Amino acid sequence: MEDFLYFFTFQDASIAFVVIGITLLGIGSAYVGTYSFLDKKALLGDAISHAVLPGICLGFILAGEKNPIYIVSGAFASGALATFLISWLRSNTKLSEDAIIASILSIFFGFGIVLLTVIQKSGNPEMAGLNQFIFGNAIAILEEDLYIYGGLALVIIIILTLFQKEFSLLVFNPDFGKAIGYPMESIRLIFNVLMILAVVIGIQAIGVVLMAALLITPGAAARFWTDRLGILLILAGTFSAVSGILGTYVSFILPQMPTGPWVVVCLSLLALISFLFAPKKGVISRFISRNTYLKKTHQDHLMKTLYKAIEEGKKFLTIDEIYQAFPHQSGKSMNSIHRLIRKGLITRNEQVVILTDTGKSEAKRIVRLHRLWELYLNEYMNIAPDHVHDSAEKLEHLLTPELETLLEKRLNFPKLDPHQENIPRDHDDL
Amino acid sequence: MINQVTSPVIEVHDLTVSYDQSPVLWNVDLSLPSGKLIGILGPNGAGKSTLIKAIMGLVNPTSGYVKIFDHRLEDVRNRISYVPQRESVDWNFPASVLDVVMMGTYGKLGLFKRPGKKEKEIALGCLDQVGMMSFVNRQISELSGGQQQRVFIARALAQEADLYLMDEPFAGVDMATETAIFQLLKDMTAKGKTIVVVHHDIHSAMNYFDWIIMLNLHLVGSGPTELVMTEELLRKTYGGKLNLLTKVTELIRQKDFNPLKN
Repeated sequence: MEDFLYFFTFQDASIAFVVIGITLLGIGSAYVGTYSFLDKKALLGDAISHAVLPGICLGFILAGEKNPIYIVSGAFASGALATFLISWLRSNTKLSEDAIIASILSIFFGFGIVLLTVIQKSGNPEMAGLNQFIFGNAIAILEEDLYIYGGLALVIIIILTLFQKEFSLLVFNPDFGKAIGYPMESIRLIFNVLMILAVVIGIQAIGVVLMAALLITPGAAARFWTDRLGILLILAGTFSAVSGILGTYVSFILPQMPTGPWVVVCLSLLALISFLFAPKKGVISRFISRNTYLKKTHQDHLMKTLYKAIEEGKKFLTIDEIYQAFPHQSGKSMNSIHRLIRKGLITRNEQVVILTDTGKSEAKRIVRLHRLWELYLNEYMNIAPDHVHDSAEKLEHLLTPELETLLEKRLNFPKLDPHQENIPRDHDDL
Repeated sequence: MINQVTSPVIEVHDLTVSYDQSPVLWNVDLSLPSGKLIGILGPNGAGKSTLIKAIMGLVNPTSGYVKIFDHRLEDVRNRISYVPQRESVDWNFPASVLDVVMMGTYGKLGLFKRPGKKEKEIALGCLDQVGMMSFVNRQISELSGGQQQRVFIARALAQEADLYLMDEPFAGVDMATETAIFQLLKDMTAKGKTIVVVHHDIHSAMNYFDWIIMLNLHLVGSGPTELVMTEELLRKTYGGKLNLLTKVTELIRQKDFNPLKN
């Protein structure tokens, strides 16, 4: 608790610095990543983040110490080389894109590990901490390094905001962009540069192995919540920043803990929550709306049963008769009866269930849709009368009033369905 | 039957286009009159889309050139509007109908600048013309095929161009949309705009277009509808691919380089 307060009240200026830094780079990489996620280029980010490792090592070897300028330039150069190779191989060979990305990723990463081992064997006392580039450690970042990383993150955020319309065009319809005379190749180049930059600045905090998660997961999680690009970007940035800060906190209280994995754990948790609970697109809300629909279906069928009884001259049905109409579903039928009573569509007196006036007109509507659809299938699609029932049984719950009007007009307000049963209208007497 | 016109809107000069190695258009040479509704007809894989992409500078020709309004494309871009095939974009992209139509104003707006009130008004006016006013804030993922096509047409209108190149605007749309779009295009040509449309249905082409281009890897015909729509030319266009030409294409494809390139 003490640690928690110490960390989040920012009494320590260096902690405040780290938090600001990680927030900026989280937002920056989520911002770039969301675009590349929408562009279906998520794997490219993964390849770039693995491919910067040899550059980091070379930068270290050349500088002989952990100089941020050398390391950032080295990482940028090897990330750029990998991006260029990927696009060159794609346009000049017949290899598929996933094969190219997978090879580039492993070749660069393998080479990087070789260099890392060489550096470790060289006995350079400065090399301690170079391991952090694999899984990241946000707390260990020096203040002067933070200026560079935070500044670059700010540059990314500003450029993406200024060029929002151009980058949207790049993802949605680059051909159109080219047709109106926009330099789409240059815009793609700028975007790739920003992507490499986002990876490079995140490496020390998150690590090469997991950087791709910081690029892609925020956008993917946020996509469950919204269909608006603006909100999507803000949400992705927030997810990313929150996870970044929490990951840093864990590295602060347990210094041997790398930051990257914890950031990814937080992000995955947010993604899981989005996947489950997001309205409309979340699994649970889809489950609920499906369930509601199934309940409504059962209620409709129950009302139809009552309606058909009236057609046969029985003014009501007993509970037992209803149970018999839906064998092995007595629990469901009981629930439906309760719900229909609450909606005022039926009334129940002891064992006797009767349709109310509104209930009658609703039941007529369902039966009418059922029989109209049967007739439509029979007349317009030439389906035999004994084959039309099943489809109508499903569609009677779906057809909208507009479609009903259309069906009535097409069929010229018919009296009878293919089974010679009456198609009930609201003014008909029962 | 290839009619050339004086002072053409589009002049395509000896244009050959190849994808990778295989030539998909052979030496197309045509000129088109202004203020007409022009249809490009031909079987699948005949190079219809490629022709308008080449006119629009979206694919590089192996040889030949295109002139528009007697200028190079670069100098007259903002007088031309291009409607890509509906399937060529990802309709799950998080954007509203208005966002997409606003893209039509980007050309005149230029880089950096954000669209403002004026651009929004143009976009709304264009949506009104295609009968999509009630869908302004709708997500594009929720649109039907016909509605998507109307949005694309509205975006083209927002470009306020003189020449429109449309790739299959009638593909996969309902009858009501087809009639509405056709009427709109007719009204536009009445105002002096030139419209070139890639089309797949021969029967409606007879009634729709003033001028028809027939393609089948090479140019079969180009001229006023009543002159071009002959049995002989239709047979040449649709009666299977030219056997010899296909064989030559195959031969070139197997080479490691493109011998047609200069």
